[in-house]
Amino acid sequence: MSIKDVLSPFLAWKKVFKDPVTVKDPFNDRPGAPRYRGFHKNELDKCIGCGACEEICQNAAIDMVPVEGIETKDGDSGLRPMVDYGRCCWCALCVDVCSTNSLTLSNEYTWIDSDPDVFRFIPGYDKKEWDNNELGWTKPKNYDLNNYDRVDMAELHPEERDKSFIEFVKGYSKEQAEAEADRCIDCGLCTATCPAHMAIPEYIKAIRNDDMEEGLRIMYETNPLPEICGRICTHRCETVCAIGHKGEPLSIRWLKRYIADQVPESKYKEVLERGLEITPKSKKVAIIGSGPSGLSAAYYLSRMGYAIKIFEALPAAGGMMRYGIPEYRLPYDQIDKDINYILSCGVEIEYNVRIGKDITIEQLEQDYDAVFSGTGLHLGRSTRIPGSEHENVYFATDLLREISLGNEIRVDKKVVVIGGGNVAMDITRSLARLQNKKYGKVDVTATSLETEDIMPADREEVVEAREEKCIIDPGWGPKEIVIENGKVTGLNVVKCLSVFDEEGRFSPKFDEAQKKFFPADMVVESIGQGMDLSYLESIKDKLEFSDRGRIVVNEKYQSSLPWLFVGGDIIKGPDVINGIANGHTAAKGIDEYLSSK
Amino acid sequence: MFNIKEDRSKFPTMKDDGTLDFDLDSQKYVKIWQGPNHPGVTGNMALELTVSGDEVIKSKTHVGYLYRAFEKLMERRKFIQCFPICIRMCVPEPDINEYLLAASVEELGGIEVPEMAEWLRTLVLEMARVTILLRGVPGQGGTMSLGMGVQWGVYIRDLMLDRFEELTGGRVYHMYIAPGGVRGLLPSGFKERMEEVLKKIDEFVVDIDNLMFSNAVFKKRTKGVGVIEKDWIDKYSVVGPNARAAGIMRDVRKDYPYLKYDKLDFEPHTEKDSDIYARSRVRWHDLQASVDLIRQIMAKMPEKGEIRAKTPNVLHWKIPKGETYKRIESSRGEYGFYMVTDGTEYPRRINLRGPSYNSAMVLLEKILVNANISDVSSLMVSLATCPPEIER
Amino acid sequence: MNEILEKIKSKYEITDVLQKRDDLLFFSIGKKLLVDILNYLKELEGFTHLIMLSSVDWLEENKFQLTYILNHPVNKYDIAIRVDIDRDNPVMDSIHHLWIHAQTDQREIKELFGIDFPGSPGVNDDFVLEDWDDIPPMRRDFDTLKYATDNFFPREGRKSYDTKEYMKSKLYPDQG
Repeated sequence: MSIKDVLSPFLAWKKVFKDPVTVKDPFNDRPGAPRYRGFHKNELDKCIGCGACEEICQNAAIDMVPVEGIETKDGDSGLRPMVDYGRCCWCALCVDVCSTNSLTLSNEYTWIDSDPDVFRFIPGYDKKEWDNNELGWTKPKNYDLNNYDRVDMAELHPEERDKSFIEFVKGYSKEQAEAEADRCIDCGLCTATCPAHMAIPEYIKAIRNDDMEEGLRIMYETNPLPEICGRICTHRCETVCAIGHKGEPLSIRWLKRYIADQVPESKYKEVLERGLEITPKSKKVAIIGSGPSGLSAAYYLSRMGYAIKIFEALPAAGGMMRYGIPEYRLPYDQIDKDINYILSCGVEIEYNVRIGKDITIEQLEQDYDAVFSGTGLHLGRSTRIPGSEHENVYFATDLLREISLGNEIRVDKKVVVIGGGNVAMDITRSLARLQNKKYGKVDVTATSLETEDIMPADREEVVEAREEKCIIDPGWGPKEIVIENGKVTGLNVVKCLSVFDEEGRFSPKFDEAQKKFFPADMVVESIGQGMDLSYLESIKDKLEFSDRGRIVVNEKYQSSLPWLFVGGDIIKGPDVINGIANGHTAAKGIDEYLSSK
Repeated sequence: MFNIKEDRSKFPTMKDDGTLDFDLDSQKYVKIWQGPNHPGVTGNMALELTVSGDEVIKSKTHVGYLYRAFEKLMERRKFIQCFPICIRMCVPEPDINEYLLAASVEELGGIEVPEMAEWLRTLVLEMARVTILLRGVPGQGGTMSLGMGVQWGVYIRDLMLDRFEELTGGRVYHMYIAPGGVRGLLPSGFKERMEEVLKKIDEFVVDIDNLMFSNAVFKKRTKGVGVIEKDWIDKYSVVGPNARAAGIMRDVRKDYPYLKYDKLDFEPHTEKDSDIYARSRVRWHDLQASVDLIRQIMAKMPEKGEIRAKTPNVLHWKIPKGETYKRIESSRGEYGFYMVTDGTEYPRRINLRGPSYNSAMVLLEKILVNANISDVSSLMVSLATCPPEIER
Repeated sequence: MNEILEKIKSKYEITDVLQKRDDLLFFSIGKKLLVDILNYLKELEGFTHLIMLSSVDWLEENKFQLTYILNHPVNKYDIAIRVDIDRDNPVMDSIHHLWIHAQTDQREIKELFGIDFPGSPGVNDDFVLEDWDDIPPMRRDFDTLKYATDNFFPREGRKSYDTKEYMKSKLYPDQG
């Protein structure tokens, strides 16, 4: 103890003359820091109501509620987050996990009210003074809780794949599938958009849990053709994936394929029929056509206990899936895997029987309690331009069918394909393979009315076709197929300026001045398909048709003849998943119809 | 310093089983409760004191006044959801919990954190240490009604909280060190503003030295009081500044370097006397060391870099079955998380062990025996007890 | 630090050895040998610091796991020893004679897990709970959500919609 110890505390007196550090200022706010985690803001039109914020909130402070003026539609649940400030702890994880970046926090932090209920509000909908604050917590740069990068799918190298019809998409490995499945945020927006309303988040969860049998069971509840859909589905689900707003959407299609690939055909019965009890019913249903809708209806009706018989005009089942889609995209053994299982469920099938020729539709009406028809679009449509009636001008559907039947088709050295849809790409790439086999060289050109950005074909189809050295030259309107000395020499085209008019109707406009000539020995038309309803000729008068020539059906796909249900591409589509969906719905409709009869 | 009278006849004798032999009804003893209201800067905790005259002859610590079952709640939450909860287990220094949760999850989940994130974590942890010591060091004087230092400290602490606010978006619960990385780079101009605060702390350190450590009254009240014997260190598992005050080097940053501490130059201070004064002095040196560390970190850290490692989707992050113990040097000493995972999306068990668990219970009960009643709160604060980490 | 593991292995039967980090070793040992090995490690091998005593409930396997984490302050090395005890008869030997502060851990575990440590000072005193009349709350079969809904009241008027269900009700109520 020294004298210093007595005196030095008095040095504190020097602070007497310092300005006070706390100043009362009732007029000026002290704004929160630019990153401050204050009250919530939400851009309602950007938000898609995926519910990830609700999912991550550990305090259960967020409810997803309907909001006036926001409609439920594809890719938007119509729900918006409502925050309960009695529970919120302002951790801002809801912001970090937001799939569209619509949810943020403002830097405002004072809010006084005597009514406790106002502290439950819908950010963005209930107007608040901080809605326009620019400052506040947003997702930090280079920081995101979601993973936006898709796991790449291994494919055969273009050099290898354009030589044969071997399936070129290799499928995910276990690690890849689990990594891809991990990106899912379980929102379920995809389920609503999928025409079959498959429980997508649930089967993706099964992948994460490495439970393929559970995954397969979930898929079969809404889709009895998962191997097929896992390869060639038009995956509309992926267009609404919440992750797709800021990155690449989940590869839902490949994940579906992964599950189906993992379960061997021999285990299907055990996996799918464990604990299943079917009470057989006395009624019989006939199904015309074994395409996706027919198979789907057959499967679900057989599960309900009905006796099913399918009539197929061609020598094998599958319809367009077998005869319209090339083998390199959908190998025959995978079609057989799905179909064999359906046929093993007590579904009878008779091949090479054409209704209207071998059996009349009246006969079916007499022998069966109900009939489902899913005959599909098998007729090619012609451009009807001069020269299109030449014998060396083909329809894509005919050629694809012949290839699948194993018949030799004519392949010339130079081919032009008219059309920009998936079928056009299929025939282009099939011809490329055949040319490669025959001549060792690819020379196919595909041209479409639509420019590249609005081509109806899937983007990857176009990219892959180019990788296989096909030429895709879109944006041209076919004018004339040039024929010299009875032989096709090429196709004259003019520039297409626009395909649709302002009301969205098909009405192409051309610039006749810009011309081009595609030399070719052979021309293939692939501008759409038509239906062949000649088998219904005898009952045509009793059926109701729409203006555009389609059979009118109710929401259960029942036509104006109560015993006749119609589905598949001739009603909706064309694609596989719509066929599966309306086959399933029709099955339920048939069940209702037969139960009440 | 008070003198223990030679004549101990009026004090109770010890029984064979080690308990004291006294009769409360004899009117020689009084039972008083200190707490459970906030008895200083330490949180809710009650001491049941049996007093004879002005001398404590027995003390029993009662906790449970702020039990919120965080450890239990975390077992029912996904790993990312534990992150906003775990911080609440130590209010004045929440960042250590953030780091331990993140580090345990990363170790068990096999995540490698980017370099930049490690530097920012180190920075935030040192800022947190400064923040709590700005109140903790003068707080020792506060227990003896020397409140002036506390007010100075609280002011500068507020400036530090401003820095936290602009870096992390929060003042008290920063929620910055998330599993996988950190939530943001330094804002522009941060270093300059931080340097201003650090200069204020430099002045504060001198002021406190004059006000407290060179203060005759403070010295009288703290020197030789509440001595922790050297051999108690192991017996009671004393850690951190309390052990260093007894001359035993215990500092996790040096002993088990984590984050970037092996790249930084610092030497934890040790004292010999192991009394209140020594412990307070160690904390005062720690504060200066932390200020120096912040300067070093800001000079050495890279300007840019990745702040988050790629982790599995946090909404269903499954961590393989495993267990680990991760530790950190808090302002009070070794602070650890024992985490057990069972392969699901939820932790099986997270057990936190803070230094107060021992010091506020058995150690405090021990050093309060024979203490003067006016020294009870000083002794308690000198051990830097923090009840939230006893009852998680 | 493989010497210490070799030494322990030569003296005790240990299982499930896991070298988690260079300075952190986990192993399991029989219930009866626990106090003996702790005594050995503390007195002869210099593991003088008991970091914590923790308990884990493995409900599915009908056992409790007690974990004793020891530290060697000089060699900077940690050993975590696991002991499995029967969930139906949760009793364990006390170690308060080795480390006084272990009595706090044991008191807490008694209250929150219901594992008894006979002889540990104050082991039956209330720790953080008061008048608790349910099963020990840290046991896995104690349902926190049920307890909260039974004892507290939720805020009125709160309702959340499931995205999938809501979209179904709006867009395709009759299908799927």
